[in-house]
Amino acid sequence: MSSRKRILALLTVVVAGFLAVLAGSIHSARAAGPTLTIWVDQNRKDAVTQLANEWAAKNTGVTVNVVVKDFGSIRDNLGTVDASTAPDVIVGAHDWTGQLAANGLVEPIYLSAAVKKQFPAYTLNAFSYGVAVKKLYGVPTQIENIGLVVNTGLVKVPTTFAQLEQEALAYKKKVHGPVGIAVQQGSGGDAYHMYPFFSGLGGYIFGTNSAGNLDPSNIGVANKAFLKNAPLVDKWNKEGLINSAVDSSTAQNAFLKKQAAFWITGPWNSQLLEQSGLKFKVVQMPKIVAASVPFLGVQGFMVTKYADPHGVGGLAEDFVSNYVTTPQAQLALALANGRYPANTTAGKQVHDPVLAEFGTAGAGGVPMPNIPQMNSVWSDLGAAWVKATKGAGATKASVAFTAAARSIADKIG
Amino acid sequence: MSATTTAPAPQAAAIPRGAIGPRLISAFSGTTGLVLKLVCLGASNAFAGWALFVLLSRHHWLASALLLVATLGIDVVYLGPRALPLKFLIPGTIFLVAFQVFPIIYTVEVAFTNYSTGHIITKPDAIKQIETTSLQPPANGKTYTMAVARSASGTLTLLLSDDATHKLYAGTTKGLAPLPAGTATVSSGQISAAKGYTILHGLALFNLDKTLQTFVVPVGKAGIRPETTTTAVELEPTLRYDARRDVFVRISDGAVFRDDGRGEYARAGEALEPGWKTGVGFRNFSRIAHDPLVRQPFIRVFVWTFAFAAGTVFLSFALGLFLAVALDKRGLRFQRFYRSIIVVPYAIPAFLSVLVWAGLLNDQFGLINRLFHTSVPWLFDANWAKVSCILVSAWLTVPYFFLVSMGALQAIPEELTEAARVDGGGPLQIFRRVTLPLLLAAVGPLLVSSFAFNFNNFNNIYFLTAGGPPQANSSIAGSTDILISYTYKLALAAGKGNDFALASAMTIIIFFITAALSTIGFARTRVLSNA
Repeated sequence: MSSRKRILALLTVVVAGFLAVLAGSIHSARAAGPTLTIWVDQNRKDAVTQLANEWAAKNTGVTVNVVVKDFGSIRDNLGTVDASTAPDVIVGAHDWTGQLAANGLVEPIYLSAAVKKQFPAYTLNAFSYGVAVKKLYGVPTQIENIGLVVNTGLVKVPTTFAQLEQEALAYKKKVHGPVGIAVQQGSGGDAYHMYPFFSGLGGYIFGTNSAGNLDPSNIGVANKAFLKNAPLVDKWNKEGLINSAVDSSTAQNAFLKKQAAFWITGPWNSQLLEQSGLKFKVVQMPKIVAASVPFLGVQGFMVTKYADPHGVGGLAEDFVSNYVTTPQAQLALALANGRYPANTTAGKQVHDPVLAEFGTAGAGGVPMPNIPQMNSVWSDLGAAWVKATKGAGATKASVAFTAAARSIADKIG
Repeated sequence: MSATTTAPAPQAAAIPRGAIGPRLISAFSGTTGLVLKLVCLGASNAFAGWALFVLLSRHHWLASALLLVATLGIDVVYLGPRALPLKFLIPGTIFLVAFQVFPIIYTVEVAFTNYSTGHIITKPDAIKQIETTSLQPPANGKTYTMAVARSASGTLTLLLSDDATHKLYAGTTKGLAPLPAGTATVSSGQISAAKGYTILHGLALFNLDKTLQTFVVPVGKAGIRPETTTTAVELEPTLRYDARRDVFVRISDGAVFRDDGRGEYARAGEALEPGWKTGVGFRNFSRIAHDPLVRQPFIRVFVWTFAFAAGTVFLSFALGLFLAVALDKRGLRFQRFYRSIIVVPYAIPAFLSVLVWAGLLNDQFGLINRLFHTSVPWLFDANWAKVSCILVSAWLTVPYFFLVSMGALQAIPEELTEAARVDGGGPLQIFRRVTLPLLLAAVGPLLVSSFAFNFNNFNNIYFLTAGGPPQANSSIAGSTDILISYTYKLALAAGKGNDFALASAMTIIIFFITAALSTIGFARTRVLSNA
């Protein structure tokens, strides 16, 4: 084309670009006044938005921005998000605390004595982390744990482990079922669901040091008490009480189709259980040698390191320490997720019987260790269970768990 | 090759239809084309302008400069009359740079750092975080309900009510003084009014956040600091940062924590958390070479990866070729039906198929063992798991080689096979001496690329066995772990959380291995086609 047309064309594109820059500058100059950005997962979005709006109404001038993210991505993206779009408050699981605090991504929270009294000590401990001295990094809102679901239409609720073993095996023989107790493992293992057996045999993951903090050098996976009771695992494997070939869908189907009378699962399946039409009760597994307590999962809110640079540090802490800790907020948040609230006053107002049963099943439970070294433990511990409960050709439990303890110690270094 | 494409539409209806190409070209030359070109260029400039604005506001100078140069370059290329090949190449090049070149450069950069759990943020942020977390409530530390106010002279003051004793104080940066009795009114624990002070609310209070972050009311060795907008806490520092020497000093015993060059303040094995991300040179690579935890399974995993890729390619190519030859017979009934069902595994998303196979191969409850009344431990025994991986992977790749072989077989001129038959060759001889070499010459590069793909086939391994079953002696690598899934496990389960830097270093090594094997493979196929 002619040179005149070319110049005209060049001018047009340059002008278009310039207009875009103007548009960009107008767009970014719009935000004014302090904004609190909260990252939540899809389940909690409505409850948190409502709570945040109520809180913002009490603090006029503040805008709240609730962003929905996939639950796992909240932890993974917190370190790489750009500071201008970073959240000030996040929803999180308690076992993220160690990793997030070690990365320097969350701020310590200080609660008054009056507020601390409303929460069981273990829920606050779950969100505490520190190498030398523990600090609180989050406010708990809900607790969850697995329990033993007993089909009361088929068997009686066992009060001792021997009774559980006998009932499970008798029922398995009667219906030629696949397994006595339906607990999921799969080829990758599932140390979380096997924990009641593990704690019942005297096992623990990390011991505590004199300051009461988790000590990663004290690994209790193959401690003396556990190894003494390990032959029980071999016995259960031989009689088919548990089997590592059972994965989550097999376990669920076995219980729902009445091929097994016992199922170990958590409150995420409470709706499924209620709609199944089966008569059931949720209890804690009876004591084996020690109390067979489950792992406790606590979820809550944390304040990120981005709140201070955004100029909303005090507001973020106010929302988390003063507002989310109130019983009404706790109840709303926990029920939105179908779980038991952490606040004891809120807990008294829960009327769902299944949820209450799961809560009782968690008595004395152990919060999952929240130190970053825990990552190395899951796969090894799960693998040890898989090897020891494989059915025919299983490894002796004492051998499998000693190997697991050694490999965990190697990985942690 | 063009001789084998299906015959085009008959000539009779060709005149209006056949002219579509030239008609489109003539429609889009001239004004319409020019306007379209300017609109697209304008859009690309507008996008670049907005991106430039965002990058500059976040101080990414290098990225802004590159973007500016690239945008102007695009404008010049598309507005000038020359550089015709470049006009076609630019869109593809942009995607290549964005999705291939940039991630590779970033991976190489990360491999030379210590990017892992505990080393994510920058050094100034880490210093600030250490200072914040080193504050401890002293023994009998108090918490206060707070109201922020300005005194008559304008000094910022914290009006505090002790949570335990309910005594009232006024705190400034100079110190703490009790509030005279009767001058303040308290409602529901909060000081709502005080004589001589204006209490700040709403935006006036919120806008002071940055000032309040560093506001301390000194009380002996400790200080009262605002925490939320309505509470304050008495805290005492336990570490002191010496900016001149760039060290942290523990106040209780004078212990000094120095920057150890590896992204932490440490002293004799004790490190302060958090650390920061910094370059560490070749440390990750030397760790791969020397750390027994990483090195010991490496050879075994490498051998299995090679065997898995080679086994998959060989098995699927053999089966695919066999099926292509078998179904190549002219006049075979239901030919289309056979071809459709063979292609089905290729049509289903691969990872879905693999998950279903993982269920089918379960040795206690899976369909395979139930149907054939066998009790083979498909996924739970180390050796059978390897067999299962190769079988499932081959099942997924057979349709691909079936289609490729079918096309390549049809490309072999019939005269050659006719001539061989006339010369007295049996079908097997014809296949081995005439068909196969010509086939391999055409399909050779595809075999090499399929090998390279399966060498790093994370999905097929991870969804089928998760790299398991676990090995007796090794901790991280399972029996069916290939190099890439082993790297993935290293990144997630290596001691103290995630170790992205080590995983990046391993990825670079895997790249060199894969590139070397592929180069050798391509050189061999070139020899084949020349022969």
